[in-house]
Amino acid sequence: MKPSRLQDGHQAFDPPAQSTMPTAQTFDAGEPLKEIVVRNNLAAAKLPEEAIMREVMAAGYGEEDAFAIKLSLEEAMTNAVRHGNRNDPDKRVVVRYRVTPQKTVITVRDEGGGFIPERVPDCTLPENIERPCGRGIMLMRAYMTEVSFNESGNEVILIKVNQS
Amino acid sequence: MKMSRAQVPGLKRTDRPLTIQVERHEEAAVIRLGGSCTMEVSSQVRHAIVGLANEEIRLIVLDLSDLDFIDSNGLGGVIAGHLKLRHQRGSIRVVNPSPAITELLGVTKLTQIFPIFPDLASALAAPVEPKPPAR
Repeated sequence: MKPSRLQDGHQAFDPPAQSTMPTAQTFDAGEPLKEIVVRNNLAAAKLPEEAIMREVMAAGYGEEDAFAIKLSLEEAMTNAVRHGNRNDPDKRVVVRYRVTPQKTVITVRDEGGGFIPERVPDCTLPENIERPCGRGIMLMRAYMTEVSFNESGNEVILIKVNQS
Repeated sequence: MKMSRAQVPGLKRTDRPLTIQVERHEEAAVIRLGGSCTMEVSSQVRHAIVGLANEEIRLIVLDLSDLDFIDSNGLGGVIAGHLKLRHQRGSIRVVNPSPAITELLGVTKLTQIFPIFPDLASALAAPVEPKPPAR
């Protein structure tokens, strides 16, 4: 296994790949994606967000695009920590990203068994609108240019084209 | 003069900490949210709203004038409070959200259950559903 940077001060190793599906790195040729591996808690999950948002601001994205990327990344990290890794402190979340002035590509992978996105109820339907949870995927799809998942459902790929 | 990105109002390089201020008005309460309601702190919003909804409060007015950001868990906390209040024919009203949060409420269709008011006075003045008769 390849050692990875762990941003909360500990060394970690990449978890084994859960799928053979291509990640954003392979279907979006360009510079390699940067990688940050964090422990599975919401405080540690802020670290990749802060790193990515610094690059987004420096790359000249507008306020609306920056809000969209931040919101989608928060939702992806929350899903990974809470639902994918089930709040297990021994698990990790792997974030890979590349920010250019043209577009931002982010992948978030957890160590869970994945899920089937199509089975998540549409929380904008009248019968679901009062559900207190389940809006994360819908928000990612509403705010990002492209959202996809690997085959096993434990990795989300987020792409935002700079609109400004 | 063209503004640089760093000068655009509301474009912040770091999150401002979440602030929650509660003010009681007999059967109503005003909750002022400020800063960023992000994933690691959004449960605080749920606790504040649901805690008030468990009391004899009929109306919660959420003043979002100073709120920069809220995630889906924060929105879920508002919905949880709404579900509690509904049992006592109470409701939640939203005051003066930013354009980004107004859009977020629209995208999620939560504007269908949370009316938006331009200011605190109008939100507090709008009639509340009559209290159910005591059994």
